[in-house]
Amino acid sequence: MKWTHPLSAQVQEGPDLLGGKAHGLLTLKRLGLPVPAGFVITTEACRAFRHGGRFPDGLREEIAASVSALEAETGRRFGDPRAPLTVSVRSGAGVSMPGMMTTVLNHDRPGEELERAVTDVFSSWDTPRARTYRALNGIPDDLGTAVTVQAMVHGDRDARSGSGVAFTHDPNTGEHMPFGEALFGRQGDAVVSGSALTRPLRDLADREPSVWADLEAALNRVEAHYRDACYVEFTYESGRLWLLQVRPARLVGGAAVRTAVDLADAGVIGRAEALRRVSPHHLQHVRTPRVVLGEGGLPLARGLGACPGVAVGRVATTPDRAVLMAAEGPVVLVRPETSPLDMRGLAVAAGIVTARGGPASHAAVVARSMNTPAVVGVAELTVGPDSIRVGGQLVPEGTLVTVDGTGGEMVLGEAPVTGGQTGPHLRRLLTWADEAAGGTGGGSDADRLRAARSALGS
Amino acid sequence: MTSAATPHTTSADLLVLHALRCAGFSGPARLAEVTGLTAEDVESELIDLAVDGLVTRTPGEFEGWGLSEAGRGAGAERIAAELDATGTRPTAERAHEGFMELNPELLDLCTAWQLRPVDGVRTLNDHTDPGYDARVLDLFTDLDQRLEAVCADLSANLVRFRRYRVRLSGALGRARSGALEEVADGTSSYHAVWAQLHEDLLATLGVPRY
Repeated sequence: MKWTHPLSAQVQEGPDLLGGKAHGLLTLKRLGLPVPAGFVITTEACRAFRHGGRFPDGLREEIAASVSALEAETGRRFGDPRAPLTVSVRSGAGVSMPGMMTTVLNHDRPGEELERAVTDVFSSWDTPRARTYRALNGIPDDLGTAVTVQAMVHGDRDARSGSGVAFTHDPNTGEHMPFGEALFGRQGDAVVSGSALTRPLRDLADREPSVWADLEAALNRVEAHYRDACYVEFTYESGRLWLLQVRPARLVGGAAVRTAVDLADAGVIGRAEALRRVSPHHLQHVRTPRVVLGEGGLPLARGLGACPGVAVGRVATTPDRAVLMAAEGPVVLVRPETSPLDMRGLAVAAGIVTARGGPASHAAVVARSMNTPAVVGVAELTVGPDSIRVGGQLVPEGTLVTVDGTGGEMVLGEAPVTGGQTGPHLRRLLTWADEAAGGTGGGSDADRLRAARSALGS
Repeated sequence: MTSAATPHTTSADLLVLHALRCAGFSGPARLAEVTGLTAEDVESELIDLAVDGLVTRTPGEFEGWGLSEAGRGAGAERIAAELDATGTRPTAERAHEGFMELNPELLDLCTAWQLRPVDGVRTLNDHTDPGYDARVLDLFTDLDQRLEAVCADLSANLVRFRRYRVRLSGALGRARSGALEEVADGTSSYHAVWAQLHEDLLATLGVPRY
């Protein structure tokens, strides 16, 4: 095979050719962890497609052969009413890129549909947004994206099915414990998109003890392999666990510091490596306050953090009300999304929450220009004339809430807050930094870390 | 497709009324910037509109003018009538369609201006790397040229849309000369004017945002 490779432990190619996503799946396979059957179309095929404007010779035949192999491996067939095969088609470049695509296919003419889905993924490399992203981040235009085609597993199959995301460490604090969210009886895309209310990952332990045990074991194994905090996406179908994605967790701020120090103390990595793992830029974020959720605690709502910091204030649902209420005390403006008509409300708000939009939305751009903590894209949120509704809960205007613009949480009442001061982990890391640099600990935290990293040659 | 008909100039009172609809609660200086009228002319129009009950003035710390319910209705009606009388609805629809294709790019660029990934961490852009800022501004310039093309027919027919070209080019020019806040901060920034154009297209076509 020239253009495609099966998702099999024997495949040795790297992420340049297979994309980061498929490369992670092969790592899981090699670790003996359960990954749904599938195959990957290489970035080289994408490059040939972009160059020639059509599928390169042989690709069509290879896809057909790979589909046959997939049908044989799963014992399912496209369009078979008794044992239908459903596949997901996902993009995945060698470098991290926004706007990744996923298509699910279960149609009667898989050849045609699959070719169209693969063409769509190849073409997605050349959208204006993707080009802009590459221009800004110095990513060459000619790398291309790989395509991962995988048999679907169904988190919505029955009462013993579900899906979720899991970290090996709490991404807010860096504490070493399985952390994440789960959805029972639902597909995984609803977790990742935030379009459904999730449960704390821990609930899985009571509900499906054997799936939980397998997940804990899997988290330990990937963490030992990467020697770092990791993130996985999973689905379980009729009580059986499947892993759909793995990557290093890329923790930031205080969580990055604590994880690096703990791993060094446990002897998993050396102190020099711990210093290399923490970017001086992380230290800017260590002092940013964060909301602390109690044991198994859940926020009122979760969206995307758009501007870091914590704000406590009373809910206002219109810009006019925000202006009036701001005379009495801090206000959190909650809107479906924002437009220029919201400007005077945005200007007086201590915190901003929107139901729609991503980290590049109007609200996010304005919030950052004013350094106002903001959470956007809270999918479960609806805004009424004098109240908001989150999931099933009605929250009247004037209710006190806390907003964390780093983690994207909105919490009822005034939540306890951490950060803004240096913890024992940061002090230890900076002591190691001074030792490595042969210095005396002068300058800012970031300066001390920079000196160590340059002494270590990284 | 440029119509051979004479370009339509919107009357000053409707310009001010519609500016309050698109830019929100504002003072006369800002409305002058939005409409291209002088502040004195804006004030005189505001007083007449207030007599008719279409706008209201809020005194105090956040002093300014806003639409009344009657003003909101009258503005929408008159802007729709203008669109139909001038036969420019299809032109405005095409401009809106083209605008929506460019909108995600503008928001990405504003985000790239404010945040940049350093060592895998999204970090506030502290504007100490002139090379990075110049790359972002080049992309803004490229996008701005495409926006100009998208709005060309509409501006040729409805004179009030030409004001956006003046304001957008102005913001970009000031940013290029070192006024970094003219990209995404404040009411005269490229982002703010772009967002008003978005609101204007929606208001002009009577398309609800939510």
